[in-house]
Amino acid sequence: MPRGRLYPLFAAALLSAAYGPRALAGPYVPGSDGTVLAELPSGTCHADVSARRLARGRIDVAIPLAQFYLRQSRLSGDLRYLGYAEAVLAPWVKQDPPAPDVLVLQATLQQSRHEFSASLATLERVFTVRPDDPQALLIRATVLRVLGRYPEANAACEQFARLVEPRLGALCIQSLRGLNGHLESAYAELEQLSSQGWLNSEKSWLFSELGEMAIRLGRDVDAQRWFQQDLKLVPTDFYVRAAYADSLLRQGRSGEVLTLLQGYESFEPLLLRIAIAQRQLRDPRQAQSSARLRAAFAAETQRGEAVHRREQARFLLEVEDQPTLSLAVATLNWAVQREPDDVLALVNAAKAAGRPAAAEPALDFVRTQGLSDVRVNAAATASVASR
Amino acid sequence: MSTLRQSLWMTALLLAGPAAQAHIASNGFLSLEVDGAQVSGALELAIRDGELAVGLDQNGDGKVTWGELRASQTALQAYVLGHVHLAGADGPCRMGFSAVQVNERVDGSYLWLPFTAACGRVVKRLSIDYTVLDAEDPSHRGLLSLSAGGATQTAVLGGGSALRLFELDHPSPWSAFVEYLRAGIWHIWSGVDHLLFLLSLLLPAVLARRQNRWEAVPLAAPAFVNIVKVVTAFTLAHSVTLSLAAFDLIRLPGRLTESVIAASIIVAALNNVFPRVTEGRWRIAFAFGLLHGFGFASVLAEMGLPKGARIVSLVAFNLGVEAGQMAVVLALMPAAYLLRTTAFYRRGVMPWGSSAIAALGMVWFVQRAWG
Repeated sequence: MPRGRLYPLFAAALLSAAYGPRALAGPYVPGSDGTVLAELPSGTCHADVSARRLARGRIDVAIPLAQFYLRQSRLSGDLRYLGYAEAVLAPWVKQDPPAPDVLVLQATLQQSRHEFSASLATLERVFTVRPDDPQALLIRATVLRVLGRYPEANAACEQFARLVEPRLGALCIQSLRGLNGHLESAYAELEQLSSQGWLNSEKSWLFSELGEMAIRLGRDVDAQRWFQQDLKLVPTDFYVRAAYADSLLRQGRSGEVLTLLQGYESFEPLLLRIAIAQRQLRDPRQAQSSARLRAAFAAETQRGEAVHRREQARFLLEVEDQPTLSLAVATLNWAVQREPDDVLALVNAAKAAGRPAAAEPALDFVRTQGLSDVRVNAAATASVASR
Repeated sequence: MSTLRQSLWMTALLLAGPAAQAHIASNGFLSLEVDGAQVSGALELAIRDGELAVGLDQNGDGKVTWGELRASQTALQAYVLGHVHLAGADGPCRMGFSAVQVNERVDGSYLWLPFTAACGRVVKRLSIDYTVLDAEDPSHRGLLSLSAGGATQTAVLGGGSALRLFELDHPSPWSAFVEYLRAGIWHIWSGVDHLLFLLSLLLPAVLARRQNRWEAVPLAAPAFVNIVKVVTAFTLAHSVTLSLAAFDLIRLPGRLTESVIAASIIVAALNNVFPRVTEGRWRIAFAFGLLHGFGFASVLAEMGLPKGARIVSLVAFNLGVEAGQMAVVLALMPAAYLLRTTAFYRRGVMPWGSSAIAALGMVWFVQRAWG
């Protein structure tokens, strides 16, 4: 609807008003004392509070405990663990000067919350003490890559590569080249890389990069093979499971998406894919999935956080049929992160909203960086044609 | 040190890739309703957060049961007394608790702890100090919904700024009325589609169709009656559907209403170029007006109707739409009336203006139906 420009922040405010978090029914008294209200995931019992108190005085307790929480967050996709890690790290970050290991964990925490510039600033403090810290360099490369600052990310990767096993260094560098105009050759290099003797986490890194590159090359069958290999090793790799589901959705295999994601309904990014599939299948359960997603995004918007904006933009476009609002959210998202999926979210929303010009910043980025991605090409061509 | 380095390395690798963070972060819900010197409300915490705060799982089996939650009531009340402080002009309000209950939210079960707080004097300014879980989970926030005098304000509590002040006498039904009135006017003026539809129906109002030709009506009266009929029919129709949709009695997919609105412009405009309905255009206005009402409703849905002022806001929004529409009618129709005898109006504006409107309608239709 030509209602003039909806300023993104205004739209975000509208969104939170429209989808205010609502309880499902109302408070009630359960029937029996034995009714189980919740199961507590590991490390979330009140008893663990004593370990946290101990961590306030002992760095040798604080660091493994914070690592435990960060790892739990990654494995379970649960943002609460980031808060627990933050609480454990807080007294040690305030120390003058803080230990570099503490700062590396702090930077990891910030990256997980999509606080990218804060994460980079924390890493700078690590580098003043330990300029050759491989972990810090790898996080720096990752953050810069998400921000679309490829030359700087590449510098971090090259420095990283001088410090670690050559194959890991190659993985860091080739993954970036794959975004930077050399997709074909980077993919070929990584395909030949042997992962023999690697840890599962290292193999998982390789498979997920290969899978994503194959997607951008338009080789969905190969991509799905890499994703399957990865999920066999690390079933909790939500990122890859989501990418796999997207690939199936693009091929119109919505039924398979529901099978792939069964049991993962409590993870919002995966629930988004479920809702899209349900919509395509006209499955009545879509209403419930949408209600849950709305509440989750509303709570996040109200808190002023931005972890799920890409998903929110897709939800508005692909489930809720709200292209104008989707474009507003995708524009906000583009200001924060610039991965191929972010390009796609903006281009698709702009096209649907009838404002192809709004996608120019992303398409400009694609041109200057030489990003090649069949999905973006298809969307952009259609977008130009409809102008 | 080497094992520490080793495990750091593994964490870094595990965390280096892009993460798909799933769950929403920890939120508590604090709802307060101020009535004179009395505040009644409830704090809702996820069972997990209650466990972290006071330890609900008494047998340590990793599950929290309703029996365990009930047994922890005193501890929970003490915790809330220590972490949620309400104060009015006379200082801290005295809190008293009722029995704990359970509330289901999209991300699981929440404990629901209702309370009342006596603040001594009529509360005009409420201070809230919220420090729930600040030591255990600094990312926890309290999502506040504060109602007073029919108006509701929301805020995010906790984090760096624990103490917050809320003025209660500012928001009033009147300010909601003005806000929604403005939104109505703004919507009709910025959304050209509704106006173009109405305009297409009004262009021939100063003319009459005789022997396949447009002729000027001789008197102001029939023109005036035509205009009133069309505007009234359009208004009635969209008021009905706007109200139905605003109270969630009917809901249509956005793409459908937007497409049909575009189609209505094409129909109304083409009817001027190739007249089919020459008498009783108000029927077109009424039929499509129903659909335009759903279009207005989608704007209202984005804004939401404030609790306690739903009817006032709905009426205000509708009045705003009417006012915006009347302003345009009053500005354009006298000019149309004066120009009605000219060839410019009958052979220029009527066919070519209408065709241009129809063309624009088609562009919108294609964009909305297939975009």
